[in-house]
Amino acid sequence: MNRLDQAFAALADPTRRGIVVHLARGEASVSDLVGLFSLTQPTISSHLKVLESAGLISRTRVAQSRPCKLETKQLKVVTDWLEKVQEIWEGNYKRLDALLAELKQAQKEERKK
Amino acid sequence: MKPAEVSTPSDREVLIKRSFDAPVNLVWQAYTDPALMRRWLTAMPGWTMPICEMATHVGGKYRWRWRFDENGMEFGFTGEMLEVELNSKIVHTQIFDPGDMGGSMGGEPSIITVTFKESNGITNVSTLIKYASQADRDAAMSTGMTDGMEMSYKQLDGVLAS
Repeated sequence: MNRLDQAFAALADPTRRGIVVHLARGEASVSDLVGLFSLTQPTISSHLKVLESAGLISRTRVAQSRPCKLETKQLKVVTDWLEKVQEIWEGNYKRLDALLAELKQAQKEERKK
Repeated sequence: MKPAEVSTPSDREVLIKRSFDAPVNLVWQAYTDPALMRRWLTAMPGWTMPICEMATHVGGKYRWRWRFDENGMEFGFTGEMLEVELNSKIVHTQIFDPGDMGGSMGGEPSIITVTFKESNGITNVSTLIKYASQADRDAAMSTGMTDGMEMSYKQLDGVLAS
């Protein structure tokens, strides 16, 4: 699995997405997260391992609590990809908007006859 | 209308949601009539859709192929209709045909589920792309899809700038 794939796999889980959203506000320790998500510490720890190996978070070595920090660069790779997908579809959909407006107009004309 | 929303409900799926200011029967037409499909799926300068064969019955096969006239590059999609419910749902398989763009999306077909739901004259369309495996989704991300997208993307930039 490459890094991007790992990142997507990591983010496929709602709890892990929740952790990422929380860490976007700032660093947090394992016990912070345990309290926040009402899950056991082993469960939170295993989620953190998945996020860490996908490069989405890092753990500082300094404090006893080893707070988790979001790795925004890796997250950006994922959001960039999603944005690209979004732009392509939206490009098509904007043209579809215009086409539908035309079809609606034609339907109106049709009814007037 | 609000821009399309893209999310990844699982590690093999991509979900795209969008609303349209039109009754569902017109949206359905735009999605199933080749003459209309050509107008919104390829209205970018330089791109044409030389092949747009559509099927709207279960078991029917469809073929879509795009061509970038400037360099003659082509790519497309083929697949089979698994479910068709008038004005409400289309489920089909999809295999990426890289043409001469290179890359592949894995050999196993993806499953595309498009649902249409009208309320108060607004039609909500949701498109769920389910790849056969993580590896396939990965391939789709790193090759054909992104290259193809990059090309359409550049075209789109041109459209937006003009």
